[in-house]
Amino acid sequence: MPRVSNARDLEIIRSQSDGKRSRSRLELIIPNGTCCQASGSAALIDSVRAELARQGLQQDVSVRVTGCLGFCEQEPMILVEPGNILYCRVTAKDAAEIVSRTVQRGEIIDTLLFLDPASGKRIEREADIPFYKAQTRQLIHMNRFVDPFSIEDYIAAGGYRAIAKALEEFTPSAIIAEVKAAGLRGRGGAGFPTGRKWEEAHEAPGDEKYVICNADEGDPGAYMDRCVLEANPHEVLEGMMIGAYAVGASKGYIYVRREYPLAVKHCRIAIRQAREYGLLGENILGSNFSFDVEVARGGGAFVCGESTALMTSIEGKVGEPRAKDVHTVKEGLWGRPTVLNNVETWANVPSIILNGSRWFASRGTEKSKGTKILALTGRVKNTGLVEVAMGTTIRQIVYDIGGGPKNGNRIKAVQTGGPSGGCLPERLFDLPVDFDALWEAGSMMGSGGMVVMDDKTCMVDVARYFLKFLLDESCGKCVPCREGIDRMLEIVTDIAEGRGRPEQLDTLQDLAETVAEASLCGLGKSAPNPVLSTLRYFMDEYKAHVLEKKCPAAVCKALVTYAIDAGKCTGCGVCLKVCPHDSITGEKKKPHVIDTALCQRCGICIGECKFDAITVR
Amino acid sequence: MLQYVNVTIDGAPVRAEKGTSVLDTAIHYGICIPHLCHIPGIHDMGACRLCIVEHVRNGRSKVTASCTLLVEEGMVIRTNTDRILKMRKNIAELLVARAPNSKAIQDIAVRCGVTEVRYPFRNENCVLCGRCVRICKERAQANALGFIGRGKERHVDHPPGKLMDYCKNCNGCILFCPMSVTPCGGPMKKGEERLCGKCDSQLTADARKMPGVCVWCELGKGFQCSRYLAV
Amino acid sequence: MAKINLDSILEGRRSQPHMLVEVLLDLQDQEGYLPEEALKTVSKELGVPLIDVYRVAHFYKAFSLKPRGKNVITICTGTACHVRGSDLLVNQVRGQLGIEPGETTPDGQITVECVNCVGACALGPIVIHNDVYCKNMTPGTLRRKLDKAAGKKKEAKDA
Repeated sequence: MPRVSNARDLEIIRSQSDGKRSRSRLELIIPNGTCCQASGSAALIDSVRAELARQGLQQDVSVRVTGCLGFCEQEPMILVEPGNILYCRVTAKDAAEIVSRTVQRGEIIDTLLFLDPASGKRIEREADIPFYKAQTRQLIHMNRFVDPFSIEDYIAAGGYRAIAKALEEFTPSAIIAEVKAAGLRGRGGAGFPTGRKWEEAHEAPGDEKYVICNADEGDPGAYMDRCVLEANPHEVLEGMMIGAYAVGASKGYIYVRREYPLAVKHCRIAIRQAREYGLLGENILGSNFSFDVEVARGGGAFVCGESTALMTSIEGKVGEPRAKDVHTVKEGLWGRPTVLNNVETWANVPSIILNGSRWFASRGTEKSKGTKILALTGRVKNTGLVEVAMGTTIRQIVYDIGGGPKNGNRIKAVQTGGPSGGCLPERLFDLPVDFDALWEAGSMMGSGGMVVMDDKTCMVDVARYFLKFLLDESCGKCVPCREGIDRMLEIVTDIAEGRGRPEQLDTLQDLAETVAEASLCGLGKSAPNPVLSTLRYFMDEYKAHVLEKKCPAAVCKALVTYAIDAGKCTGCGVCLKVCPHDSITGEKKKPHVIDTALCQRCGICIGECKFDAITVR
Repeated sequence: MLQYVNVTIDGAPVRAEKGTSVLDTAIHYGICIPHLCHIPGIHDMGACRLCIVEHVRNGRSKVTASCTLLVEEGMVIRTNTDRILKMRKNIAELLVARAPNSKAIQDIAVRCGVTEVRYPFRNENCVLCGRCVRICKERAQANALGFIGRGKERHVDHPPGKLMDYCKNCNGCILFCPMSVTPCGGPMKKGEERLCGKCDSQLTADARKMPGVCVWCELGKGFQCSRYLAV
Repeated sequence: MAKINLDSILEGRRSQPHMLVEVLLDLQDQEGYLPEEALKTVSKELGVPLIDVYRVAHFYKAFSLKPRGKNVITICTGTACHVRGSDLLVNQVRGQLGIEPGETTPDGQITVECVNCVGACALGPIVIHNDVYCKNMTPGTLRRKLDKAAGKKKEAKDA
């Protein structure tokens, strides 16, 4: 086991693995993150390996199993390098053909290439795919070079050079100055300047200080932290090391959600390897800086993404937030000065040290620098992880990268920032991705979830969904959050179920404002955002529910009726069989009928009908 | 040696011992900030949010609970701005809608200016103020009670098995519970779901003899509060 | 009932109250739920009041205080899955099994749970069947999955 005791050792490892790499003629990069595994990437990897062995090509071709490459929808995929050829939606059965044709003969298999839904053409190279082309990939781009199980891969890709440089050339204050000059802001949501946070912790009195990586990515609809941590855990570790050196901490924690088992596993392996290499522990790289990291698992509580709740959770207690009048940088974990940053923030640190603050600040807007990973999901053609320079407009993201609406529907809003964020209407799509611009528009960056909604999405239902989520996830400690969310949900449910009264809209607004100001923690303070932003931009939909008792998107169950289009129904009987409420009747091969009195509007029949015969109005 | 800091509360310059909370300081000087979960001498948790105040710093004001806010030199606090009064009223409304038959909660609501409740009443017998839990933990050191569950499911309970295995029979939880006085039947009557606002201070029999005593101070410590006399 | 072996879980963690969450997570993984007796032992060994052990056990979603079924079906109800119709999946469960999320079928075969996002949002709606992630689920595919999970029981009985 090579022990890295100075920067030279790193160079040696790097050149060794470069040597190893140059021996193989071709590289097959197969992503195998959680999302890829859901698509069956594990079986693909096995069969590709078996096929290479069968055709005797193991020496010639190296297979690198990496984290997710971002274009989750097209998974499982294989990236062939050199050549940058991307095969999408590959199954285990395709392995033989890929090995015999592409690997052996250098042919390109047309049918496995990405089919651009806009032009209807196959695209050969990954870099030419519009989804990738319009992005600025800094963090995610690293994923392809690194097998998360291999610290050598990370070192070969230039890893741990930043900490070596930091220890050699920088004083802690110089690091803080560099991060400040870069304008890095917290990627977890609020966008607090990272350098200032570090500075405060650096100046706070005390010998024992902590750094924490917040990977309790609870925002539904956001998963960039999972992706980064799964794919490149060493980069996060290196960022934490630099941060710890800057603030004077000797102990770090990575707080990962239990719902991300793969991320937990990869973190643990990464920490073990870093310890074995001497990159964690006493006197790192021959300096007098000592630092170690531990993984703490979250037990499944959204509120634990809040800094004080997260710290009490690491202390082994119930994750209830406490008043933050004294900042956690002064009194955090176990009452000690603590720096808490999100995964993406930490992952950005090494490149700032390596390339300088000017390089980092060259991208982005005046007050938001660098790039941001967004999780583009919902009703767009291309979904996945998207990394763009700050300042890119929402329109560019939704239409250029996301490819626009699915099935010819009209996109009407994006929801950014998860349950703490808000919904922005189509007319504001020229807003840039920028902490302050989004905040002013009544939403927030949050951790970067971006859920696209079209005219089949009901905004009242969206508000209701988030309130339900928040009621479930609120710790219940303070009155405004617990009772306030409950009452807001009660009102929105009334509205969604056709019992809404016009004066309730005023009550909702009034209550939402109180909850936003008087709640104890960030969860409560931001909880009304989904309600306030939908009230602000989609009042017409609320009014349609209240005054006309209609759901324009035909989503709210109580306000719609199901019917079978007699012209389309073939009488196949599938719907009749699957209806759990026995509300469908009809003879074989004759149009069926829904008994609206029995129908519970569960929507199961719609999914089962092959002829689109069931209508909802 | 005791250290003192100078604080301005509602325009009045006051001197307070370092380490005390704004709420305690205000109470000490006879400035009443309505509160529910605060018990003198017991750790504050900042749950009820009735004691919210505006903390003015660098020209910007931040709303925060005064029970968990410690005094600092030069601090400027406003306890009764329109903004605060409105929010406090909304919070009291939420509380009374949850437990309309508690006389103590009714009292707080009426004193915070709630006349009409915009939400359907629920007949809960606990407002989750956590007074019992903290008394049990900190004064009796029995650890017999705790908050179980989260969000809507949050409730006060003891570990499974017999409560008597832990309880030290100190009676603190009952003494400090805002729900433990005889409930008021009024608001829950069908068709009459409203607060009449006509009750006297109900928590102590002596309340009538001491006009203007804020029930919650009486329950905790007791001092002559003048703020809400007019109600 | 077999005695639960806590030694390996408690190893190196005794008298360290801050390990409570980690210990309970390991216990949950080992047993599938948190048995009452074990919680009492944990309370004693770590030096945490029993009430705090219970509070933690009730607070975090990962813990279950009742035994779970052989098949644990977890439906993701994150935003992206919701927009793509995860509600229909929950309805399918209600209609087909007659249980609510969080409950177990009376025969102990299937437990259905909901989770707020598993971070595979581009592939929604997601259903996790005993640690296996299934993407783009529809009420129909879920129905067949549930049938299969319940059907295994029948074969076992026949055999």
